[in-house]
Amino acid sequence: MIAHDLFVPSPLLVLSSGTMLMLVSIAWRRSITLSLSIGLLTLLLALAGTDHHLTTGQHGVATLFIQDRWADYTTALILLSSICILGLSWRNLLHDTAHPTDEYPLLLLLGTLGATSMVFSANYIPFFLGLEILGISLIGLVAARHHHLTASSEASMKYLILSGISSAILLFGIGLAYAATGSLYFSPPVATDGISHGIPIAAATMILVGIFFKLSAVPFHMWIPDVMEGASTPVAAFIAVVSKIAIFSSLVRYFSAGEMQPFLNDTMTAVIILTILGGNLLALRQTSLTRLMACSSIAHVGYLLMAFLSPGQLQSGAIVVYLAAYTASTLGVFSVISALAANGDTDGTSIADWKGLFFSHPFLAVIMSLMLLSLAGIPPGIGFFAKFEIAAASVERQRDLLLAALVIGSVIGLYYYLNVIRTMMTPDIVQIVTYNRKNYPELTGLALVLTIIVIVGGLFPARLIRPILPAPVTIIPRSANTIAPDIDTAMRYAIHDISP
Amino acid sequence: MSDLLSISALCCHDGAAMHILAILSASITVVGAIMVITRSIAVHAVLYLVVTLLSLASVLSLLGAPFAAALDVIIYAGAIMVLFVFVIMMLNLGQPDSDREKEWLRPRAWFGPAVLAAVLCGELFFGLRDMPDAGPISMITPRDVGLMLFGPYVMMVELVSFLLLAGLVTAFHIGRYRMEDR
Repeated sequence: MIAHDLFVPSPLLVLSSGTMLMLVSIAWRRSITLSLSIGLLTLLLALAGTDHHLTTGQHGVATLFIQDRWADYTTALILLSSICILGLSWRNLLHDTAHPTDEYPLLLLLGTLGATSMVFSANYIPFFLGLEILGISLIGLVAARHHHLTASSEASMKYLILSGISSAILLFGIGLAYAATGSLYFSPPVATDGISHGIPIAAATMILVGIFFKLSAVPFHMWIPDVMEGASTPVAAFIAVVSKIAIFSSLVRYFSAGEMQPFLNDTMTAVIILTILGGNLLALRQTSLTRLMACSSIAHVGYLLMAFLSPGQLQSGAIVVYLAAYTASTLGVFSVISALAANGDTDGTSIADWKGLFFSHPFLAVIMSLMLLSLAGIPPGIGFFAKFEIAAASVERQRDLLLAALVIGSVIGLYYYLNVIRTMMTPDIVQIVTYNRKNYPELTGLALVLTIIVIVGGLFPARLIRPILPAPVTIIPRSANTIAPDIDTAMRYAIHDISP
Repeated sequence: MSDLLSISALCCHDGAAMHILAILSASITVVGAIMVITRSIAVHAVLYLVVTLLSLASVLSLLGAPFAAALDVIIYAGAIMVLFVFVIMMLNLGQPDSDREKEWLRPRAWFGPAVLAAVLCGELFFGLRDMPDAGPISMITPRDVGLMLFGPYVMMVELVSFLLLAGLVTAFHIGRYRMEDR
């Protein structure tokens, strides 16, 4: 009965088995190399099996997971990013002989599992569980930093509290949505007769607030610079890339049912303008490269949401290209930061430390400049085309206000990205002797691969533009007969029966 | 459990009473939860936590979920709280036992939780007093829940277990560095 009733996406299966295998191997003998290898192998296997699914059981609303090209695409992005991040942290973990750090790859794998679960979810339960698995793994990952224990503990405490609050709001919204519709299907609640009109609106708003919190859209963005600064560089990349892709992908799926309600549309417009301007303005004053990337990731979320709010012919292509561009460029920047990481107390993320990089490490400096230009939206990087697509999608829907915000945000963005490049070009009068930068050849290789992706994607972006967004689904209206018999409806029956 | 059932039957019979009872239980839950996080002595917080969980159970039963309420009482207010108290007693080995017990048995420690618990108890008696003849109730039995958890929701159970694993590893991970840091 289970075999054909259940639909389980295969990446989820592979990731869970890999996690258990890693647990067994840790119990047997603690070896960081072995754990990292198992983690890498699991991620590769999951990537290989992304679009092969063992069972296909999509019967109506009762399914917990859904599988379509959108889920496959975002899963592939998440898995590729996790592989990159594992590669970024490999050296650091091997060098840290003082502590057995098997927890790191374990938590990384669990976080990826949570993100994958969110991407595939067609029901509130796997979505929320995935979100929590991702969040709790991130708390541990943020705190896993030995040279800066106080800073990282502080960051993980901040993340714990703020993510707890946002989860509570989200859960309240889910509860209200269930009260209004009687189903846990992952789509905005629609008002039905007998329920007051306010409940579905309140539910959708609270769920959106929770999602914005995790996405760090502007009224709810305060945590991300602090948390990313406190975390180690690979973990900061994980927060900026994997968790944002997963949540954005869920947001797109959540509203895939059709047009948004007008008031949500207005709210989203306001949030997007605030996010683009706020993220860019915050980034202007940053002196730490990690904080700068955090603020710029806020702004990029704003651009992504802009594409999300402009449904039309071009929307799908814009979202797909922009996600790929953002992922590749951000990972590129973080891999250069890791490749140049210092051993000592400073981790070399202060922008002033990057003075004269064009003279000491010309190759890495060129890669870094390319990535920053791609983020700013300048050719030949893929970022140019991505931003162009977003602007085109917005023009198609005549979002004038949003377009103005995009232009202003891009100009501000250009300033701070170019500022980093200018710093790298300034000859350093005091030679770099204080910062004992080590050169990691394999990280340089990784950065090179990402550069190739960014440039090739920028030259031939047409292959990426495909209609893969989730297809609109019909929402089954609430009635006692059509809802599949599961626990919650059974409870509903119980209430109906005993009420007069 | 049967007492809780009776409350649920009563409330659906009488709308106004249900509202008052539900609001009362919910406010006890909130007050208890606030007290839990503001107490500085762990045992006092635990006492409030017990009351919070009990009132949460009565809210659940008022919502028509007696099975969830029973689980809440048995597992949380029962088993897990016993574990909490046990661990706290194990860890506080500094003072002499008699002093410690005297400290814990002061009225200041148990007066608040006792009042809240008394209100809950009164609610229960009120529910028992005029127990109406409720019609046929289709109960959710443990068997139904088990079939659901091992049937369609089996993957969710797995995900929850991974969530617990993540929490465990994270707590251990952070806690260990704290210990080594000292």
